[in-house]
Amino acid sequence: MNDPTTEPAAQANLQYRQVGKPLTRTDARGKSTGELRYAGDHVMPGMLHAKVLRSPLASARLKRLDATKARNLPGVAAVLTAAELPGRLAPTDLPGQTGRKRTDTDQQILVKETVRYHGEPLALVAAETVAIAEKAIALIEFELEELPVVSDPFEAMKPGAPVVQGSNNVVAEHKIRKGDVEKGFAEAATIVENIYQTQFIEHAFLEPEVGLAWVDEFEVTNIRMSTQVIEHFRYVADALDLPHNKVRVIGSLVGGGFGGKEDVTVEIYLALLARHTMRPVRLAYTREDSFFGHGKRHPFHIKHRTGFTKDGKITALEVSITTDAGAYVFLSPYVLLYNAVAAPGPYRVDNLKIDAVAAATNNMFTSAFRGFGSAQACVAYEAQMDEAAKILGLDRLELRRRNFIATGDTMSTGFPIESATWTEDCMDQAWTALGEKTPDHGAIKVGRGVAAYQQSYGRMTWVHDTSEAWVGMEMDGTVVVRSGITDIGAGQTSALGQIAAELLGVGLDNVTIYNSDSATTPLAGTTTATRGLLMSGNSVRLAAEAVRARFVERAAKEWKVPPETIDLGERRIFVADQPDYSMDLKDFVAICASEGILRSELAMYRAPFTEPIDRETGQGRVFPDFTFGAQAVEVAVDTGTGEVEVLKSVGAHDIGQAINPAAVAGQIEGSSHMGQGYALSEELVYENGQLMSPSFSEYLMPTSMDVPRYQAIILESRSGMGPFGAKGIGEPALTPVAPAVANAVADAVGVRVFDLPITPEKIVKALRCKKL
Amino acid sequence: MANEKSITLEINGRRRETTITANQTLLEVLRGLEYFDVKSGCEKGDCGACAVLVDGIAVDSCLTFAATLDDRSITTVSGLGKGEQLHPLQKAFTEMGSIQCGYCTPGLIIAAKSILDENPDPTDDDLRLGLSGNLCRCTGYTRVFDAIQSAAKVMRDGGEQG
Amino acid sequence: MLAEFEILSPANLDEALELVASDATGNVRPLSGGTNLVVDLRAGGEAPTSLVSLCGVAELRYIKIDDGRVSLGAGTTVSDVLKHRDLCTLAPALAEAATVFAGMMVRNTATLAGNLCCGSPAADLMPPLLALGAELQLASKAGQRVLPLDEFYLGFKNNQLQRDELITEISFPIPPKGATNAFYKLARRKGDAITVAGVAVAVEFDGGICSAVRIALGAVAPTVLRAREAENILIGKALSSELIAEAAAQAIEESSPIDDLRASADYRRHCVGVLTKRLLTNALELKSQGNQ
Repeated sequence: MNDPTTEPAAQANLQYRQVGKPLTRTDARGKSTGELRYAGDHVMPGMLHAKVLRSPLASARLKRLDATKARNLPGVAAVLTAAELPGRLAPTDLPGQTGRKRTDTDQQILVKETVRYHGEPLALVAAETVAIAEKAIALIEFELEELPVVSDPFEAMKPGAPVVQGSNNVVAEHKIRKGDVEKGFAEAATIVENIYQTQFIEHAFLEPEVGLAWVDEFEVTNIRMSTQVIEHFRYVADALDLPHNKVRVIGSLVGGGFGGKEDVTVEIYLALLARHTMRPVRLAYTREDSFFGHGKRHPFHIKHRTGFTKDGKITALEVSITTDAGAYVFLSPYVLLYNAVAAPGPYRVDNLKIDAVAAATNNMFTSAFRGFGSAQACVAYEAQMDEAAKILGLDRLELRRRNFIATGDTMSTGFPIESATWTEDCMDQAWTALGEKTPDHGAIKVGRGVAAYQQSYGRMTWVHDTSEAWVGMEMDGTVVVRSGITDIGAGQTSALGQIAAELLGVGLDNVTIYNSDSATTPLAGTTTATRGLLMSGNSVRLAAEAVRARFVERAAKEWKVPPETIDLGERRIFVADQPDYSMDLKDFVAICASEGILRSELAMYRAPFTEPIDRETGQGRVFPDFTFGAQAVEVAVDTGTGEVEVLKSVGAHDIGQAINPAAVAGQIEGSSHMGQGYALSEELVYENGQLMSPSFSEYLMPTSMDVPRYQAIILESRSGMGPFGAKGIGEPALTPVAPAVANAVADAVGVRVFDLPITPEKIVKALRCKKL
Repeated sequence: MANEKSITLEINGRRRETTITANQTLLEVLRGLEYFDVKSGCEKGDCGACAVLVDGIAVDSCLTFAATLDDRSITTVSGLGKGEQLHPLQKAFTEMGSIQCGYCTPGLIIAAKSILDENPDPTDDDLRLGLSGNLCRCTGYTRVFDAIQSAAKVMRDGGEQG
Repeated sequence: MLAEFEILSPANLDEALELVASDATGNVRPLSGGTNLVVDLRAGGEAPTSLVSLCGVAELRYIKIDDGRVSLGAGTTVSDVLKHRDLCTLAPALAEAATVFAGMMVRNTATLAGNLCCGSPAADLMPPLLALGAELQLASKAGQRVLPLDEFYLGFKNNQLQRDELITEISFPIPPKGATNAFYKLARRKGDAITVAGVAVAVEFDGGICSAVRIALGAVAPTVLRAREAENILIGKALSSELIAEAAAQAIEESSPIDDLRASADYRRHCVGVLTKRLLTNALELKSQGNQ
């Protein structure tokens, strides 16, 4: 194995002054006092309140819509229906990128004639108070003629099925071919075949979607918004037929995103109402609105057929993948692609055939959710490894060790991994951290499971992803960073501050970060696809390095020493080991300023640019790089009732270099919780397209009473493409969790539940079947 | 307007008089008075984001009618500190990586204060029971437990005013 | 959208009874903790014209243990129960229900009477109170009456409370020496969840014989109910694992659960059997330990 790491971890972290330290985040204090405001915490004089009227049916024709009574209600400023928006469409393709032309998946902003999902917006109201807006909604009269519903992707692809999208409901297909699967299966001593099914999941960010829009004196439409993507100003402009430079998005602190605030949510409604009324308009979704208001996690049906030698080496893999795109395309083609590419997992597979299809139905549309298809792939491939180990009679960890992909090996799309693949080390450390096994007692059976994974960080490379940032030093030596990055709670902005502080020799508390304003901060691209650190971290690094280089050059001239001997630290610039050659940055920067030396830099980081992969073979580069890691879980299952208690849960991940280890650990712990819910208790139930669970009383995330102490183990190979060798963690941390929980439960009861969530009832049923 | 009445609430030590209708929840009234540190997450009592103290008792403000609270004392998270000085809970949450998106934080800190008022040395299980009405989607609670237990120790040692 | 109602705030029980008595149109609702009522109001199902707030009626909030009875004022909160050490010792079934009841903020304001009146068969305080042999005291302007709790419910969300009545007290006899009571709530997560199946069991012994037993089932029928035929199998007999299994099987027969979002009827029946068996077995074990 060609290990690209060059420096022992401990040494590097000792050298850094800011990076690698669990510094208090810049936003933490203000959140603890409630001082920091979110998008819904702003008021403006004359502000109107908006509400959305939604379809109670999943598939229908809108025969009549009459808003007269609503419009006449005192206090109502506007009611908008499709009739007032002639031909306007909302873009739904890949958000916030400039590298490729948008595909034509634009959707109606308000229902004109055809309702395609339960909750699809029929009308918008803006009124003086929320209560009046609610009354107005109730006064809008409408008539819906029920149409046939298709609520299963397999049904949707049968001839004669109701057509929801396109000509036959197929909205995306992907194929990946590598090597020779027939030959591979012929060489297999054992073939393992199983079908795995995952469920619709809700992001359930604590802060429902919310925004406030107004038109200013320059006729710019401003939208203060809780979003992962300020670049939606372009989509708003396109939807309203405005110039891009006449729409501004000011991204607020986001109370959780997880992919659910990646698409446009309320921005277009706000812009329409603000421009129609020429008054500020606020739209705050209720929790129920939120269940209907953004795309959900794709449920996947994954058939895995794997060939193994008697020693457990994978010889061939065939995967058939079907997913439910729901009523509109949104990001389904890409989620499908991620899933297909990830299908083999972090294992060497030389012969594979992967076929994936996404079909539209009248269920809620599905879109981005942390893990973006790769998480669902891991549910399948890691269960498959455990099932195979059982059949082969091999230790589960050993089977994995024999197949782990290594640096230099090629992934499913034929592209070689260039960074470190410390999967085995992560798996072993996570497993060891489980400690001594809790003994069975009475009806309680204890089981353990592990799941390893690979998860991409950075966007698909043919998107030609770029990100900009500005870094500068003030006359007093303090530092300013400007970046369009949205902070959705993982400490995105604080990390940028740490990077700038490290390179410019100041403390984190000497840095002010201005972020997420499309008018005033350089555009960074989306906070999605685990790209924040790679893209913005690198653009901040490039900007800071440029400033540093100029300072170092000037100081070198001043002190007549080689530039490589000069360092910045503790708000000073100095020659290493030469105490006489040292100056306060404040004094130094004054010299630079007076000489016209630029104290700031606007930099762009470019991720690797490629062409799209081959349509027939799926071969080519898809992602910049991958994070590798593992989760180990111990559960106690009550074999009488089927209840599962998670006793221990450990995530071990090689994240390259932790910029802020506390933030990284927080991501691992939080993901351990989110993944547990994914495995055991969360599901959105759609019956004939109707959402049966639109509140937190039915949609069950783990509470504090359901959690063990999660444990995070951070490994640092320093081999990533991010700043200081960092990789990404946001999505990777979640990917192995549900699979590990599922494996632990199967280990405990000796039988597997093949569809998530693994509820107590399903366990009881599986145990009954096992007895027969 | 029908059913309007004037009530006085003491909020974070400050007496505020306000006109409300009977059907307004404490959550609406507090945010109407610009106490934006009180968050709305579900309006059903499932998530705890709206938790405040009423005469020292933690309640979901989304389920409480302001009209029944005339002359009562309300504490929100912004009222816990003393001027620039953070309450030990706020300080611990801030410094121990216990805050990510921060939206659940106000309700969580209020609930934590309420737990510590009754139990100055809570175990993990005490915290599990006390916080089951506070949903957090970001942190997984591990660092939240750490912060509360750390603040509890500070308060027991008399380091800072609870 | 909440209906536009008025809130009336009586200062004592007499005033409160006066107000509910004056309810000619059936549009007056008593309000205590509000943790259920506010949710119902927001869902738009109800549109009362007046709410009678019982928050100010302090005389309804008490816990008394004397004279052979435990007496709980209707306005006692779930947190009050959890914090009362002696009550929790005497009635672990009730303590357990209080522990798994919603979240802390809801427990702080939700009252016993409110939980009983909300009428859901999944109301967690019901099975323990039924198993403890609870009685209700109902008051109106005209007077008072006592009603055994197991006669309170007439059907799904339909109870005996008259329009002009309020529950004032819930009481049950102090369990005799050697008696045990326990409750288990099964739900799809441990904290703050709607019950899938809840079973409470109280057993009294006379020597080696089971002298009294009450088995209460929650969330598995239109109302919370006593599994009386299962009880009859056990009364007057020495408990054994065979007898317990028979009683558990009978309890399943007496339940009539439905399929819903949370679980199937089949699974619920299974749980009635498992939980009834477990709770009875535990009671027997505690008895044997007590004898040693």
